[in-house]
Amino acid sequence: MKKMKKILSMMLTVVMVFSLMTGCGKKNDAADTGNDAAATEESKDNEAADTKSPVTLITVSMYGGTDPNAENYQEINEQFMTDNSYITIEDNSQSADQDWKTKIAADFAVGNEPDVIQYFTDANASDVLAADKFVSIDEIKAEYPDYAKDTLEAALKAASNPDGVQRAVPTTGYWEGLFCNKDLFDKYDLELPTDWDNMVKAIETFKKNGIVPIAVSLNNVPHYWAEFLMLSAAGPDGYAQVPTEAPQDWVKGLSMFKTLRDMGAFPEDTDTIDNELAGELFKNKEAAMQLDGSWLAGGITDQDNTVVAAFPTIPDGKAPAGAMVGGISSGFYITKKAWEDPDKKDAAVKFVMAHTNKESVTKYWGGNGQAACAVEPLDSMTPLGVSGLDYSSAATSISAPTDSRISQEAYNTLIAGIVGVSTGETDPKDLIDEVLSINNK
Amino acid sequence: MLYKKKFPLIIFLLPGFILMLIFLYEPFVENIVNSFYDMTSFVKMPGQEWKFIGFENFQKLFKDPKIKISLVNSFKMMGLTIIFQVGIAFILAILVNSIRRGQQIFRTIYFFPIVISATAIGLIFKLFYNYNGGMLNQLMEALGKEPVNWLAPATAFVMVSIPTLWSYAGFYFVIMLTGLSDISEDVYEAAAIDGCTRFKQVFYITIPLLRGVICTCITLAVTGALKVFDLPWVIVPKGAPQGVTHFLGTYMYEQTFTIGNIDYGSVIALVIVVLGVVVSGIVSRILKPDANL
Repeated sequence: MKKMKKILSMMLTVVMVFSLMTGCGKKNDAADTGNDAAATEESKDNEAADTKSPVTLITVSMYGGTDPNAENYQEINEQFMTDNSYITIEDNSQSADQDWKTKIAADFAVGNEPDVIQYFTDANASDVLAADKFVSIDEIKAEYPDYAKDTLEAALKAASNPDGVQRAVPTTGYWEGLFCNKDLFDKYDLELPTDWDNMVKAIETFKKNGIVPIAVSLNNVPHYWAEFLMLSAAGPDGYAQVPTEAPQDWVKGLSMFKTLRDMGAFPEDTDTIDNELAGELFKNKEAAMQLDGSWLAGGITDQDNTVVAAFPTIPDGKAPAGAMVGGISSGFYITKKAWEDPDKKDAAVKFVMAHTNKESVTKYWGGNGQAACAVEPLDSMTPLGVSGLDYSSAATSISAPTDSRISQEAYNTLIAGIVGVSTGETDPKDLIDEVLSINNK
Repeated sequence: MLYKKKFPLIIFLLPGFILMLIFLYEPFVENIVNSFYDMTSFVKMPGQEWKFIGFENFQKLFKDPKIKISLVNSFKMMGLTIIFQVGIAFILAILVNSIRRGQQIFRTIYFFPIVISATAIGLIFKLFYNYNGGMLNQLMEALGKEPVNWLAPATAFVMVSIPTLWSYAGFYFVIMLTGLSDISEDVYEAAAIDGCTRFKQVFYITIPLLRGVICTCITLAVTGALKVFDLPWVIVPKGAPQGVTHFLGTYMYEQTFTIGNIDYGSVIALVIVVLGVVVSGIVSRILKPDANL
């Protein structure tokens, strides 16, 4: 009986340990789906030698979750699988946030990278680029001359990685601009803030009439304001540099946060309100202006009375009228893992081409931001869409935002310090010096 | 006799020990090591090296004004938990224990916040406090008053403390109620015969006999205050407004995950662990929950 108990307890322990190991090993199984699929392929090949081997392509993109293009991405994937019945897509797309970026970096570090990934092209991708696991476009074009054939040369160049190598094929770019509720401006007989005097007058009038002049959450998303104030003060050249000490122009730009706050330009609860709730103020006509990216346009309900204006140059600012923040910051990459796998190579190239051809890019663009291909204007564009297109077409300069040039830690330190700058608690020069010292370490 | 042979015991303890080793102790040691390096990313890419910076992060800790705010807030929260979590739980437990009918209903009502996720509670309170159309400001408006910025720097800490304290009082309430049910009715009956009033019974019978439970609750509450994170992070993320509502947990999270200063976040995490051990040691020395006084 005792012996029996012993054997039973030993068996139980072994089962427990093995079940744990199975749990740990699950990820690898998933990661090796490609190999399993390849093994299955062999058996199927024997049965139908004349058809192409089934291929399972593991893909990741930022077109997931609440991304406005998530639906377009899935549609293109479905069409792709219908057109190429031997290819199965195992997609793991998500909206890009810090957690997701960490997970992607971890996958690349441990050799669990996908076959194709739509990811950042600028300094945001530095972790993943350090792993050197992407194939360059030149290398792909040597074998597939039609690769990225619809993509504009300028767009490919704009999507170059920080080391200057082109690896990603972009779909769309973006611009940032000042969204204005034109009906509110008309109601109070105000001109759009095309220059700083108009901006000041608008802030004062709206404030007097109980309307929040500028919808922004300084605690949550002050990014756009930080970018435009620095661009406005320093001009495109001064803004695009990465100095070692705080440039006077950047300091001047960030100092405007305090000026605007003291004028009462921001919501009363700008230090605590969420960006989404601040956005609601603008959409519900409780706020007159919101500085945001081209992606905001799709979510605005009043498409007829909302316009996009160029950011006015601040007093003594060096930026010309129409200076704009924007660019291309993401694209489709093929990993070396897929490129070196004879079965997946062709499928991966086809997949990227399906997502970056003119038709797909038109879908992704939808009238918002910039298209990476030469697309035809859409008939269905709303007045706001047209206003956005006019604004971006009239831009006198396009500058990529600061986070594409400096390290994430440095940029996040800048953003975290904006509330302090706006209250006067932090000297903008000290903040910029801290940011630059983090970037240069 | 059953435990005479230790080998089977060790075999059964091994999986748990391995799990603890892999998922708790190893990361903890790694966390300490990380705090001496300038980590540029969460994951070290093949061929990537992190610069050794020695005690730089620890020196920064002493100069960082936000750490001071976080420490002060965490200690304030410790004090508040003793008064408002354990204290209120004790009063509620005595009141509920003294009623004959409906005890189960009160148990459920007071314990209910524990089963709601902190994020949901945080979101509810965030909507209460919202300046534009929040519930409290709707009430103010109905009373003909101007809206109030409830989360302004002067009031934010109090506003965050209310749901943080309220949501966990039910936990201690249930522990106390269970402790109270262990006290024999005979003792109260004998005291009543001797002319002891209900109020006096609390001081002369309930508190002395419930001492062990109260001490355990205080220890849990005080150490729990060091781990406060989810509710403040939902209601006032990043220590908003202007960093005045930072707790050690929220500041560590901001540094690590929002800013990306992972090595400095590791140091703050270490501070939380060390403080947790020290504080629980001090509390158990002062309260002596196991002592037979």
